[in-house]
Amino acid sequence: MSLEQVPPSLRELLADIFEISPEQVTAELSMEAVDSWDSFRHLQAILALEGEYGVQFDPQRIPELTSVALLQAELKKKGAAL
Amino acid sequence: MLGDAERQELRRGIQDAVARQDAVGAVEMTRRLLAASSKPADILFCATALAGIGDALREQLGARRLKTYVVRSVTVEPILPSLTVEAVLANYVLELQVGGYGSYADELLNPDSSLARFKPELVLIILDLEEIAGILPDLCADGIGAAVEKEVEECVERMAQLLRSYRSGSSARILFQGLVVPEFTSLGDVGEANLPHSLTHAVQRLNQRIAALCASISDCVFFDADRLAARHGRARWRDARMFYASRLAVSAEYFRDYSHGLVRTFSTLYRAPRKVLCTDLDNTLWGGVLGEDGPDGIATGSAFPGNCYLAYQKYLTQLSSRGILLAIVSKNNEADVREAFNVRAADLALGMDSFAAHKINWNEKADSIRELAKELSLGLDSFVLVDDSPEECEAIRQQLPGVAVVEAPALEPWNLVEILSEQSFFDAAAVTDDDVHRAAEYKAQARRAELAGSAGSRDEFLASLGIVCSFQSALQAPLSRAVQLLAKTNQFNLTTRRRSAAEVEEFATAPGGQAVVVRVRDRFGDAGVVGLALARRQGESCAIDSLLLSCRAIGRGIETALLAYVGEQALRAGAKRLVGEFIATKKNTPCATFYSDHGFTKFVTSDAASSNSEFYELDLTVSHPTYPKWVTVEGNESYEP
Repeated sequence: MSLEQVPPSLRELLADIFEISPEQVTAELSMEAVDSWDSFRHLQAILALEGEYGVQFDPQRIPELTSVALLQAELKKKGAAL
Repeated sequence: MLGDAERQELRRGIQDAVARQDAVGAVEMTRRLLAASSKPADILFCATALAGIGDALREQLGARRLKTYVVRSVTVEPILPSLTVEAVLANYVLELQVGGYGSYADELLNPDSSLARFKPELVLIILDLEEIAGILPDLCADGIGAAVEKEVEECVERMAQLLRSYRSGSSARILFQGLVVPEFTSLGDVGEANLPHSLTHAVQRLNQRIAALCASISDCVFFDADRLAARHGRARWRDARMFYASRLAVSAEYFRDYSHGLVRTFSTLYRAPRKVLCTDLDNTLWGGVLGEDGPDGIATGSAFPGNCYLAYQKYLTQLSSRGILLAIVSKNNEADVREAFNVRAADLALGMDSFAAHKINWNEKADSIRELAKELSLGLDSFVLVDDSPEECEAIRQQLPGVAVVEAPALEPWNLVEILSEQSFFDAAAVTDDDVHRAAEYKAQARRAELAGSAGSRDEFLASLGIVCSFQSALQAPLSRAVQLLAKTNQFNLTTRRRSAAEVEEFATAPGGQAVVVRVRDRFGDAGVVGLALARRQGESCAIDSLLLSCRAIGRGIETALLAYVGEQALRAGAKRLVGEFIATKKNTPCATFYSDHGFTKFVTSDAASSNSEFYELDLTVSHPTYPKWVTVEGNESYEP
């Protein structure tokens, strides 16, 4: 997967959720690298992204979306205007 | 909706306020941001930001810290940011811990559970239907369900055991969430409605029974989640996808409404409702302007738009029937207003005599409300003003920040009742006899004031009142009234300790302990339970933990009678010394000299834990407090030491 630039809106949202600075939110950032990114925070992130971009993720895909790049790709697939 | 630039500016403002520990600014901007934005990111942002100023919230805004434990069978974690933010907006700082999914019974029953060890002040119990009555949907499937009644009863009994067992070991306050009536059942809408034992009927009955159970347990309140779900639409309340995938019982869309409902419900365990509603007249109580339109021109009655105002008037009379005092605060000529109430009596749901007081003049409304507060002996934080004028509303907000202000929508009068009912300031989980009789008592107060003006000396006046004090154990009187007094008495309250019902019971049942209430009546009426004292034995002493008197009973010697009674009981229990305690607050200066006025001597104790307390003692072997001679005492044989 090509590592695209993370759009500012997504970067800020994920920074709010994981309580990190927006600069730390890169495409490579993954669940293992962030202490606060546990399974509950993951659910919170999913719900926040759905609310923000008006999309619905497939529940089976949710546990697999463990990096910013994967979240971003899934959002694109669902037609979110990033 | 907020523009993005404005939104970013508010977020920066919140961050800056947090950085300089400015709680007032941070809360004010959070309120503005969240009033205009429903973005999940903003809630999370606010939750994180506000988490950093817990101490400042307590110091600057007097926010109450609550160690809160969530007993649950569903996923609540994603909701917690909304919950903490809604709590801060209602002036609580929650310190949250969440229990395990399947361990609710163990947590409530086991004295060594994580719940018990956390020692919470508040417990939220959030269980779903699958967990507490999982077989009910099957039992109800044919709608005839002979076994449904039995299962409902058994389920209530199981919950009763859990709650009673937990209550026996903890005085934490409890919120118990009711069940949401399931949508999309196999009986379908028509069957659910018509069959006697449909799931809808069974769950509604279960909720009613659990609510009654909660009312029977001290400091326990029922949260009707179904009512909230129904208001927003049950079909959307739960996102089936997220429920099945993650056991999340509320759709993310409603996290804030749900959190608000939780906070509003548990608030009744900590706060007393406001007591007075002041209403404006023109374009508020009726449509139009009396001075311009005349009594026949104002809108009220059964035809539109008068019926909108009639609905508001009926809402006011209903508030009044549970003890909320009504007052008129209007810029008008009093004679015109009296004429309007006479001429249009048939079109009005209330008359001049429905109001406990009125200020109809051309003075500033802030002055009128201040005068009302004085006449009714109530704090400004007991008042609500409903007025259609944005200018009047703003003036009160600035000059009397303690008063709650509701702006009546002059152009949309049909919305007023809804706007008013959305406010939490009249919320009460219990209504006592004393509440119901309060309006009559305030009228009696006014007549007493008249007599005081005509009688010669103070003693003569007091003797002419024919005051009778009757003492009872707080356990015999309605316990809810005792707790209500503890929660809301500020002026004549020696220690201002907000004891819970469970703690009152401990005082009453401990050897040498006392939990006494005083009931007062005189020739003008029965004031009901107006005072309370809690005391405990400490060696040879009897220490008074709390002593308080409702402000409407101050100045008639009731406080002296209460102290005399506590002294007698202490002597009876063999105490040699009576110890009084005073903790100064902003509001309780009226009782600062209470113990020294009654012959007590101040003494210094080395007890560092009570550094704010002043202690007073009285040697009971030498003297004891006596009843004022104008008071007749009931409920106690006289005691001769």
